[in-house]
Amino acid sequence: MIRKAFTATLACALLAAGAARATETIVWWDFLSGGDGVRMKAMLAEFNKEFDGKVHIEATTLEWGVPFYSKVQTSTAIGQGPDVMTYHESRMPLGISQNVLSPITPEELAAAGIKSSDFGEANWKAAQGSDGKQYAIPLDIHSIILYYNKDLLKKAGLLGDDGKPKGLDGVANWDAALAKLTTKDVAALSVPNDSASGWRPFYTLLNQQGGQFLKDGKFLDGDNLAKAETAVGEMQKWVKSGWTPANTEYAASIALFTAGKVAMHINGVWEVPTMVDLAKKGQLFDWGAMQIPVLYSQPATWADSHAFAIPNRQGNPVDPAKRKLVLQAIHWFNEHSLEWAGGGHIPAYLPVQESAAFQALKPNADYVSLAKTAVFDPVSTLAGVASPVYDATGNYIIPAMMGEMTPADAVRKMRDDLQSQAK
Amino acid sequence: MLKSKRSEYAAAAILMAPFVVVYGVLFVYPTIKMVELSFTNAPLIGPGQWVGFDNYWRLATERQFPLAVWNTIYFVLLSALPSTLLALVVALGVNRLKGWVQSLVLAAFFLPYILPVSVVWRIWSWMFDKDFGIAQYLIAPLNGGQHLSIFRTIPLFMPMVALVTIWWLLGFNVLLFVAGLRNISKEIYEAAGLDGASRWAQFSRITWPLIWPVTVLVLTIQLILQFKIFDQVYLFTQGGYRVDTTMVMVQYIFRQAFQLNKGGLAAAASVFLFLLIIVMSVLQYQLLRGRGQR
Repeated sequence: MIRKAFTATLACALLAAGAARATETIVWWDFLSGGDGVRMKAMLAEFNKEFDGKVHIEATTLEWGVPFYSKVQTSTAIGQGPDVMTYHESRMPLGISQNVLSPITPEELAAAGIKSSDFGEANWKAAQGSDGKQYAIPLDIHSIILYYNKDLLKKAGLLGDDGKPKGLDGVANWDAALAKLTTKDVAALSVPNDSASGWRPFYTLLNQQGGQFLKDGKFLDGDNLAKAETAVGEMQKWVKSGWTPANTEYAASIALFTAGKVAMHINGVWEVPTMVDLAKKGQLFDWGAMQIPVLYSQPATWADSHAFAIPNRQGNPVDPAKRKLVLQAIHWFNEHSLEWAGGGHIPAYLPVQESAAFQALKPNADYVSLAKTAVFDPVSTLAGVASPVYDATGNYIIPAMMGEMTPADAVRKMRDDLQSQAK
Repeated sequence: MLKSKRSEYAAAAILMAPFVVVYGVLFVYPTIKMVELSFTNAPLIGPGQWVGFDNYWRLATERQFPLAVWNTIYFVLLSALPSTLLALVVALGVNRLKGWVQSLVLAAFFLPYILPVSVVWRIWSWMFDKDFGIAQYLIAPLNGGQHLSIFRTIPLFMPMVALVTIWWLLGFNVLLFVAGLRNISKEIYEAAGLDGASRWAQFSRITWPLIWPVTVLVLTIQLILQFKIFDQVYLFTQGGYRVDTTMVMVQYIFRQAFQLNKGGLAAAASVFLFLLIIVMSVLQYQLLRGRGQR
C-alpha cells in the first residue's frame, strides 16, 4: 500500500516536472545595479518575450563587489546558485583558484555558435585559466571616462570650437585647467571615495607613466614604486588644492556633477545612462564624456570586462542540456549587445563593436578610442574586483589622496601589505 | 517507587530530547568542528591539513588581528556601559510618566529597535553625508565652516558607530529597566516617604539596589552583543575606506573566511572570540552579581 502511494506520488512529481519542462528556466545572477542595470533589465525582458513559452530567464541582481562574490563562492560550494552569472574578467584568476567557475569546452562553444574570433584576443584570453581552458565569455569592455559640463568648461575657456575640451593633456595643463575651473561655488572635479573608484584613476595614472603594478610576482617593484608615488601625489594634489571635494560618497560625487557643483567627474562608463536619462528629461546641462586625458608619457586607461560564466556547483552541476541553453542565451546577449552599449559599455562582440550602428552611437563614440590603449588589472589571485588590491587601495591610496598620509608612505605600505599576502 | 522514578526519567528524557538533539546538532557539534578546523589550513569549504598552532601563532604575530581585538574592545567600552546607564536614566524618567503619555514615550524610544540594521545605516549615512547631509548644518559651524565626513574621520568613527548603536538598541534596554522598576513595590517608597527620605536617598537606598539584578542582566546582554559587533562597522565602511584601521573581530573573521578563503585562520579567530566572550561575561556576571546582595 505504502509502496503504491509512493509510486503514485513519484509519478505525479515526474509528470509535474515534465509539464514544467515545456518552459525551461535559466536562473541568472548579476551585480549590475548602476545605470547600466536598467538596460540589462530591458534586454532580459526582450529575451523572455522572444523566447516566451520556451526559455525563461529568472534574473536576480545582487550587491556589487564583495557581497556578490562571497555569495557566489559559498553557494557554489554547497551545490546551490544560478545557472549563469556575470563575472569580472579581472576577478577570474581568483575565481578559478577558488574552483567557483565551470570550464566550457570548445565543443559546447561551437554548438552555441560562439567563436573566439568574434572577440578581441586579449579580451577572450583573459577569460581563460592558466590551464588554457575557457571559463567565461566576455560581454563588454568597460572603463573610466571623464564626464564634463560644457557650460562650465566654456566659461573657463577650456572648450574648443568643436565643442570638445582642449588643453587637458599633460600634468601642467591638467592642473592649470583644474585651477581655472575652481571658483567660489564650483569645484573642478569629483571622484568617488570608495576603493574601487580610487583604484581606477590610480592604475590609469600609473600606466600612463609606463609603470607596472605587478611584475614577476613582485608588487610595485623597482622604479614602479616611484611612479606609483607620483600617481598618488597627483591625486592628493587635486584634493589639497581644493580642486576636488574630499571624501565624496559614490552617489554624492555623481550628484555634485549633475547638480552643476563640479565641472568634471571621473567615473565608469556605466553611469552614462544616468546622464543620458537625466538629459532626456531635460534635467541636465549640456554634457559630454571623453577618454581620461593623458597626463604622462603615454595614453592608458584602466579597463575591465563583464563576462558570463557558469558556476561550478559542487555535487549539483548545471546539467548539459541546461548548459547548452545557457550558452545560447549568452550568444543572444552578445548579438544584441548594441543595446548593452546604451549602458555606456563597449561591446566585446566584434561584429557589434565594428558595426556602423555602434560607431555612430553617442556618447560612446567620443571615448571608444580608449579601448586601444586600455590596461587591465594585473593577473593575480590578489587582484581584480573585491580583491586585496582593492582593499589596499581603500587602506592606503584613498587616505593619501585625502591627505591623511604621504604618498610615499602610502605606496610603500601598500606594496608591503600586498607582498605579505602573496605567499 | 523505583519503577516510577525510572519512568519519570524516561519521560524527562523524551521531553528533553528535542532540545538536546537540536542543541547538539546546531551548537555543540559545529563548535567542536570549529575548534578542530582552527588547527588546520582548510579553505572556507573542504578539508585541510593539520598545522598545529600555526593559525593561533599567526593571529598573535600579525598586525591586523590584535588591532581588530583592540577595536572590538574599544567599541564595547564605548557602547555597553553607556547604553546601560542611559537606558536606566531614560527608564527612570519614563517610569514617572503616566497613562498614554508613558506609552507614547516608551514607543518612541522603542521604535529604532525594530528597524533592520541596514535601514539604521541608511538613515544615519544620509543624515551625515558629507555633501548633502542635513547634519552638516550643525557640523560645519563646529568645523570652521567646512563640511566634515564624520564616518570617514578615523578618530570619530568608533564613537559615532557606538552612538548609532546606542540609539538603535536603547529601546530594548529601557523596556527591561521599566519592567524592573515596576516590580519594585510602591509601599517601600511610601514608607520611605513617611520617614522623610530624600529623592536621592530613595534612589540610592531603594531603587538602585533593587534594580541591580536587571542592570547586571542588561550589561551582560550588551557585553555579549557588542563583542559580536559586525553589521554597523561593516556597513559604515562600505566602499572600503580604511577598512583595516577600524576593523573589528567578526569583520576580520568574515574577511579571512569569505574574502580570502582561509577557513582555518578564520576558525582560530572565532575560537579566540568565543573564549573571550565566555571569560568576559562570566567574569563580569560573577563580579557584579554579588554587589547588589550585600
